[in-house]
Amino acid sequence: MNSASSKIKNISSLEYKEKKLEYWGPTPDESRKLMVNKSHALKDKTMTLKDAVAKHIRNGINLGIGGFVNTRVPVSIIHEIIRHGATDLTLSFQSNSICPELLAGAMILDPDRVSIRRVELAWWGYEIIGIAPMLRHLATNGIIEMDDYTNYGMSVRFKAASMGIPFIPVRDHGGSDMELVNRGKMIECPFTGKNVYLLPACHPDVGIVHTTAADMYGNARIFGAYCTCPEIAMAANTTIMTTEKIIDTESIRSYPNLTEIPFPVVDTVTEVPYGAYPGASYGGYWFDMDHLKMFRSICEDFRKTGSKDALKKYYDEYIFGCENHDDFIDKIGYKTIKKLRDLDGGQPIILT
Amino acid sequence: MSEYTPFEMIAYTGSRILEDEKIVFVGTGLPIIAAMHAQLTHAPNLYMIYEAGSLAPILDMGMPLSVGDTRAARKACYLKGLCGAFELTQRGCADYAFIGGAQVDIYGNICSTIEGQNYDKPGIRFPGSGGAGAMAANCEKTIAIMALEKRRFVKKLDFVTSIGFGDGSPDYRDKAGVLGSGPYRIITNQALFGFDEETRRMMLLEVKPGRTPADIQDLVDFELIIPPDVKDMVEPTDEDLRLLRDVIDAEGYFLKRVIKK
Repeated sequence: MNSASSKIKNISSLEYKEKKLEYWGPTPDESRKLMVNKSHALKDKTMTLKDAVAKHIRNGINLGIGGFVNTRVPVSIIHEIIRHGATDLTLSFQSNSICPELLAGAMILDPDRVSIRRVELAWWGYEIIGIAPMLRHLATNGIIEMDDYTNYGMSVRFKAASMGIPFIPVRDHGGSDMELVNRGKMIECPFTGKNVYLLPACHPDVGIVHTTAADMYGNARIFGAYCTCPEIAMAANTTIMTTEKIIDTESIRSYPNLTEIPFPVVDTVTEVPYGAYPGASYGGYWFDMDHLKMFRSICEDFRKTGSKDALKKYYDEYIFGCENHDDFIDKIGYKTIKKLRDLDGGQPIILT
Repeated sequence: MSEYTPFEMIAYTGSRILEDEKIVFVGTGLPIIAAMHAQLTHAPNLYMIYEAGSLAPILDMGMPLSVGDTRAARKACYLKGLCGAFELTQRGCADYAFIGGAQVDIYGNICSTIEGQNYDKPGIRFPGSGGAGAMAANCEKTIAIMALEKRRFVKKLDFVTSIGFGDGSPDYRDKAGVLGSGPYRIITNQALFGFDEETRRMMLLEVKPGRTPADIQDLVDFELIIPPDVKDMVEPTDEDLRLLRDVIDAEGYFLKRVIKK
């Protein structure tokens, strides 16, 4: 392979630790082997989220997180992972808000229960609501290792993995400092002779996604933007899926074009209404800005004062004080949920 | 003429730049407002791409508060995911990238990742590239919004997140393997900048009425190209302000923000 470079070094004086060109999770060969050896039967994969997480979440894994910023974020799975505990995690996602913040908060409260070692990402924040305080705390103190890509970069890394290929050429990252700090590589294209940037596939050990509807086998529909959920589910060695509603397979078979995630790549399915709350799910509910602001301000207070009291109170109330997501939504209450349903405005989705 | 705020001037100027029958890949906040204003005035056939996956939505549920907002998918022509959205740009379907950032340099490179010299332990960590790095690489022209301050218009960036003209050499973007033609406009509330074709350096195009080119140069840490024919920025009319305040951002999510000093 011809090696090439852009002219980024002419303008960059960045200090950084050069990363080895390696995968931060399963290699393509490992992931392929695992998928081949999985049962490919159409079998009932429904189980409680507690069982799904206990079965598949281990220390040291690469956790691929679905959704995008505040949309269809797999919050119910994150809560269960925090109750279960998982240390030494590598997180992989494009853009997310509350999911990595919740894991980071859990790490600050008890690093023996939850800890993040490193993150491969494009963006971590709350958009209009503000920056992510826990990211700022962890990154500026050098507590977690970062690996930066663009939103396309992270998405297409999952896509490469979903295609069963070890890397993918892209037309971004080159000429920016991401070219220096991340695990991509500039080469000369063997066909055009011009520079092109290669990104390694990203196979999470476990992908976590929340979908609009799925049957008991894991055939899933997504309405609204897909984000990168189909690619993450396809890329991961194991996929834990929550869904707003479990629907009949007859419906899936009537409109097979609507299936965005196919059953062979899904390991567990759990019906969790409002499973993305306080994030949004198209056709169901809008995101709860008040709740996100409340949690963010608790994190910001910790960052500024070092006091963990309010943070601990939040986790005790909304995560450790709940057996499951139903308990959490109970605490949020009907009036809030009704308001968020109204704010979604009944975007059209097909469940029959 | 009514009084207008800095954010309103930026949104209005952004709208003026966007042409009809083009596709703009929008970032959160003022870019969305600018594109909505353009659609309601001179560019009814301007279409937006939202990076979560939608192309040409009709925003009849109101302004999306973020590019991942479910409202941004409303009545789209085409709705996929991030891969679908960004592949439209790689393929050449997006005329404009419309982004923001923390710092910009003379060649239109933009930082939105860190402040400080050490990537592994930065002074400040920003959210990261998000879509911006990919948009600046592969949409055809890049428009960016920036606050006009010396600490933001800098000689040297701590981290190049979104590629501009790099070191200014004619083949920088080609060697980088990116496709778009690069920086096109930088919008601030007091001045509008473009780029000199010959040198690829930032050039003053327009100033807010009452300001001089020298006033603007004072707020920029590198030497601007100042041509003899710098124009006055067009100010929003009462009707433009009504659209911005009462129709597009009626709740004041972005336009009524208080600027932190």
